[in-house]
Amino acid sequence: MRSRSNYPIQVIAAGFLVLVFLSLSLFWASWLCKSILADIMPMDYRTVDIPPSGLLPAEIESDPNVLQQTQVHAHIISPEAPQTLGIGNYLSDKAPEGRHSRIYYLELEGEDSAWVYFDGRIGQINCRWANVEKMPDGTSMRKNIQFYVGPEGVSEIPDKKLGRFNPVVVDFGSTPLILYDIKLRRFFAINFKDRIVTKGPQLSEDDPRRPVDIGILSKNPGILDMYWMPPDIRRTHIPIRERSKDYNPDRYVLVLDESGQIDLLDRETLEFAGTAGRLPAPETFFPADKRVTPGDLLAYRVLPLALKEDHKYRGLFAASVSREGTSLALAVFDEKGKCIESRITRDNSQNVPSSSAVFFGTPWSPVITIGKFLLENLHPPILSLASYFTAGSIEAASGHRAMFLLPNSFIAMKGRDARGNIAARFLYALFLILPSIILAILLAMRVGKDTAVVGLPQKTRSFWTFGTLAFGPAGYITYKLTRPKITLVTCANCGKQRRTDTGICHQCGSKWNVPELTPPAWRVLNG
Amino acid sequence: MLTLIRREIRDNIVYFIAAVVFSAILIALLTAAAYHFDLSRSAVFVRLSIPMLVILVLGFSAMGVTQMYMDRNRRISAFLSALPVTRSRILWARIVAGLLAILIVLVPLTIAAIVLGRLIAPPIPILAGYIADILTTVFLMVLACYCLGLLTGWTANKIAPTFGALGLNLVLVSLVFVKGFGPDIKFLLVLVIVACLIRTWHKFMSTSL
Amino acid sequence: MNDNVIKVENLVKYFDGRCVLDGINLTVPRGCIYGLLGRNGAGKTTIIRILLGTEPATRGRTFLLDTESTNLSPAIRGRIGCVAEGHNLIQSYKVGRLIKLCKDLSLQWNDESFDHLMETFRLPTDRRVKDLSMGMRAQLNLVLAMAIDPELLILDDPTLGLDTVARRQFLELAIEVIQQQGRTILFCSHILSDVERIADRIGILAAGKLVVDCPLEQLKERVKKLRIIFPESPPENLYLTEIVNQQIHGREMTVTVANWNQQKQAILETFKPSSCTEIPMSLEDIFIECTRPGAEPVQVA
Repeated sequence: MRSRSNYPIQVIAAGFLVLVFLSLSLFWASWLCKSILADIMPMDYRTVDIPPSGLLPAEIESDPNVLQQTQVHAHIISPEAPQTLGIGNYLSDKAPEGRHSRIYYLELEGEDSAWVYFDGRIGQINCRWANVEKMPDGTSMRKNIQFYVGPEGVSEIPDKKLGRFNPVVVDFGSTPLILYDIKLRRFFAINFKDRIVTKGPQLSEDDPRRPVDIGILSKNPGILDMYWMPPDIRRTHIPIRERSKDYNPDRYVLVLDESGQIDLLDRETLEFAGTAGRLPAPETFFPADKRVTPGDLLAYRVLPLALKEDHKYRGLFAASVSREGTSLALAVFDEKGKCIESRITRDNSQNVPSSSAVFFGTPWSPVITIGKFLLENLHPPILSLASYFTAGSIEAASGHRAMFLLPNSFIAMKGRDARGNIAARFLYALFLILPSIILAILLAMRVGKDTAVVGLPQKTRSFWTFGTLAFGPAGYITYKLTRPKITLVTCANCGKQRRTDTGICHQCGSKWNVPELTPPAWRVLNG
Repeated sequence: MLTLIRREIRDNIVYFIAAVVFSAILIALLTAAAYHFDLSRSAVFVRLSIPMLVILVLGFSAMGVTQMYMDRNRRISAFLSALPVTRSRILWARIVAGLLAILIVLVPLTIAAIVLGRLIAPPIPILAGYIADILTTVFLMVLACYCLGLLTGWTANKIAPTFGALGLNLVLVSLVFVKGFGPDIKFLLVLVIVACLIRTWHKFMSTSL
Repeated sequence: MNDNVIKVENLVKYFDGRCVLDGINLTVPRGCIYGLLGRNGAGKTTIIRILLGTEPATRGRTFLLDTESTNLSPAIRGRIGCVAEGHNLIQSYKVGRLIKLCKDLSLQWNDESFDHLMETFRLPTDRRVKDLSMGMRAQLNLVLAMAIDPELLILDDPTLGLDTVARRQFLELAIEVIQQQGRTILFCSHILSDVERIADRIGILAAGKLVVDCPLEQLKERVKKLRIIFPESPPENLYLTEIVNQQIHGREMTVTVANWNQQKQAILETFKPSSCTEIPMSLEDIFIECTRPGAEPVQVA
């Protein structure tokens, strides 16, 4: 029964379990608060309309015969949708045509299944479909065609001469398939029908562009919806979204850069043809940087505009949802990439951005917000501070699944605040976790007193005091679980509680004495 | 050691029989799902598998609780300690028996999944990644809940292991919804398993029998 | 190899703030039959449980066969036979299954000895342990402890629940074990006549201390009970040390003294008693005297 020698290991084990269970419980409680806040968010907090949309010629925009003008509409569906959770995100990502899926196309038909996928083992794209061939005698024969595509060409067998694609960013919807190889830093166009691979020029070393998305630029489509309504003489009409077939600006493909800039890529030359716009920055609770990157946004959608008549690129609409899912920005960019209109979600009655109004502007929202605030303050102070310092570095969608750090907490929002000096921001952040700090201090004092009573060595006492100060309730619970089970009795000399497993009283230093036992003075020993 | 493992298996034979039956049920369900699989309805299959996962984790957690609670209350380890057996061997035998029961459920299921994958799925890595991730996560989750059962079961109190284990297991299972089936949940679960075993070890080794 | 099979060093044990053992030092040499005695709650079973490693000590160390109790290896445990108080067996098992389990786990198993004992006690193998009577459970416990040919036998009230015949059989068994060279027995019992028959060293626990730890014969010589008749009323103070017990009845005084020697004899004679008779004491009498609370003289009306 050797328990003292591995005491640090027990403490770490118990502490980790406490942290996991406490964090999980707080996560769900917080998620409930955020879901309620999202549910009670009125429509105008999550909807932006821009009528007229502004990209069509003036004569169309102001045609007196239309009953319905052009309009671009974006709204937040639900920021706490299941796909923000890990399980939803995992399944949707891995599904064919998912965000990080390597399966670009899949049709399961048993023997006649067709697919296009990236085989990471050989670094080549594997493509197969069933082809119907007409025979000389008039009958038709189904034949499965399969081939492999690499940077250097196409082959019916996996051939090293085809080269190897590295991590790629792919436009699923385009024909030919356009992809960007991150390592080779060039675009490729793959025509499966003619089995041709077209290479674009390699981006120069000093080109700052780092494409992260091509073609249909969309993140978390379940959270954000956007559509454009063309002018119509009828009251009701069908809105147009980015996947509508008639709506494809066929000369260009949109490319989203990691900085948030949107560029145009010429399909034929595979070269950049100019800037198309950038992702708009939604308002946040504490004003953050005006330039946002895809990683800063919970969701975005970009809709290029081209008319059926000429398929000429006329500009694009870009909508983005803030990290916390409480604010939406919609912007319109013309064909030269200039922003001609941009709006954010607001509480129109009070003219306050929705990112602030959502917490206090609706009935019951202050109560829920206070609940959220208090739950955040039950989190270990050290992790809250870590959330402050790492506020901007956690990817927005992952932030909704974070357990130990809180990228969507008030303190993290303050960490992303672009105003004021560093010291003022930090003090404000400490103010935001003041209840947590007070609780940690009170618990640390209790723990400190108890460790003194129990007679733990000074080093251990300091460890527990500072540990509880850093981890708050988690540290306190861990201490209670791992507190040495030592019997304490009243010392006959000093009257304080003393340990029974030491030869002297750890409070007054007096020798061992058990006054309640009165053994006889005589002994009959030895022999 | 083999004697101790045999003793554990015999004492908890109900769980082993249940594991075999449940494994058969899961394989039957999996086969039915595979032959009617439709990617567009994959979410339905995921939702149907959630109650199965919950039954699995609660079942093995109950096994862990039962093993430790029965030992504590029937003073089995106190008796065995008088024999040439150390407490660590008693605990290891217990853990190995639990692990065997888990493998009885999951190994046939894995084999069935692989066989069905080869028979039905097209030869692309659509399912391979899913199967490996999901089965590994399920194995680790079940093992973690079993270890939680071992940890909470070592008590003379009846309420604590029942409700305590139930509550903790439900919280732990919700980790799958938070983190999905990726590498981060596996890492977390491995740490949870190690932490639970360390705590169980300490409790078992240091309390009087 | 150390000659002391059992060693207890400064053992202290607390149960929930109540001190049971307060600095016990004890050694049991090889080949000795040690009778550990004490009243209910004195701590006998606690010492045994600490020795076997099933109970942690609050302070102090204990050793069995040169190994600290907290680190007993299977090899060491295999040399120790134990009959625990209350006959701790797995109640839900059948006798046959329990025997098989013990046999499979033991390092050595004497089939001859086992069969002989099973025949002697006539234990049913197809019955569950919980369906056996207290006495049969005691017998089973004994059989399992003896079947491994233990080098050290620890018996905690082994005859609890045994009828007279079974008790006699057990004693004869114990004597059989004694006769095997090098065997050691640590024996706790409330039936002191049994202890007196077989023990060659006695330890008595009282108020958390080991007040007696010596060979049995020496104990009988060193603890004396005397009936002293004085010509007039007995003196208030005899100036004798180590008085275990004292009773006064008129001119008669009955005093029990520990470590009786010539010096004390001489002191007594200075009071010129009319008569001084030694009252012979059995182990039971000595035990009662030693464990009676208080050593103040008691005036009997």
